[in-house]
Amino acid sequence: MACLWSFFACVAFGLVYNMRGKTLLLASLGGSLGWFVYLLLNFTNNDIFQFFVATIATAVYSEVMARVMKKPAIEFQIVALLPMVPGGGIFYTMEYCVIGNNEMFLKTGLHTLGIAGALAMGILLVSSLFRIGSHPQGIKTEACSCTERKKDIWH
Amino acid sequence: MNYDRLVNTAADMGNLLIENGAEISRAEESMRRFFSAYGVSNGEVFAIPTFISVSISTPDGRPITAIRRIPVRQINMDRVECANDLCRRICRTKPDFDTIEREMKRISSLPTLPFWAQAVAFALVAAAFTMFYGGTAADACVAFLCGAAIKPVWRLLEHFHVNQFFIYIAASFVSAVIAIIFAYFYAWLNYDKIIIGALMNLVPGIAITDFMRDIIAGDMIAGILRFVESILVAAAIAIGAGIALIAIRTFMGV
Repeated sequence: MACLWSFFACVAFGLVYNMRGKTLLLASLGGSLGWFVYLLLNFTNNDIFQFFVATIATAVYSEVMARVMKKPAIEFQIVALLPMVPGGGIFYTMEYCVIGNNEMFLKTGLHTLGIAGALAMGILLVSSLFRIGSHPQGIKTEACSCTERKKDIWH
Repeated sequence: MNYDRLVNTAADMGNLLIENGAEISRAEESMRRFFSAYGVSNGEVFAIPTFISVSISTPDGRPITAIRRIPVRQINMDRVECANDLCRRICRTKPDFDTIEREMKRISSLPTLPFWAQAVAFALVAAAFTMFYGGTAADACVAFLCGAAIKPVWRLLEHFHVNQFFIYIAASFVSAVIAIIFAYFYAWLNYDKIIIGALMNLVPGIAITDFMRDIIAGDMIAGILRFVESILVAAAIAIGAGIALIAIRTFMGV
């Protein structure tokens, strides 16, 4: 159920970012995939680890999709990562700060930072791996795909 | 070869990409490829999220430089996609500069959603995230209102050229106030879920993803800039919602 809602949230966010058509749907699917992986790992009881693996899953998904669709990877990644952004953590941190519960403030604040760090590490890992794997040939394949394309706006 | 136009067109292209939310590495690489497509091997580009500098030397050793400042950035993935496509086509067919400029003008005027549709999209984001974080259907309805309120506030303050962080503070303040007032009259609502859902609209998810990508690609300054930006935005959102919480608790005793 949460996967479904994360899908809708991603679609709406994609609209905000002016994404269109197939890309929007695929990117949103990435969002629910990430949350699905998160829920799948629920048994570990360690949500920083869950977030880390879920980020890796979405990042791999978006890099693969970017190569399949020949679109910038960031398009998929931006939207697909949104359900995992620790909005709740930021809010509760702020609320504890406001009501003056310092112990909980520090605890949730550090936890939120940990989640953000897990997301960042996940993206970093996957992107650098994909860079190692595809950069030297990246230029070559692009040149090939260029000659293959028939449609040309210049003529 | 008209080197002046080459430099200008490259700078405009980088401008177009960064203005609409592409990563720095993408913009820099596009400009480099653009140069190599036209047979210039000594082109240097440097870009950070607010600034682009492009420079080449002509065969007779004269340096030509163009800089662009990018005061306002937005996220428009459709334009990034088209600009990226354009760069690839340029590398392939090497068209003349008139064609490129015409095409860039077309991309930068690609339609965005109308104002009301954007407000509805914001509202949908808020409602969907409220449900996602475990709110009830009633919570989602209130969140829909909160989300819809963000866009008009944003537009109004933008109209007065207010500082961007103040816009974030004001927008999160307004949506939090709406949520708390509803929760005051209808005690069964989960105001925390509503506020989280509504504030997901403002949370700098993009900046976080982007700055990691920039740092991986080796653009340290750009990455740090975006990191600081995302921290500031997160703080602004927290301040706005925090003021709303304190004010309402003080005056209404929720």
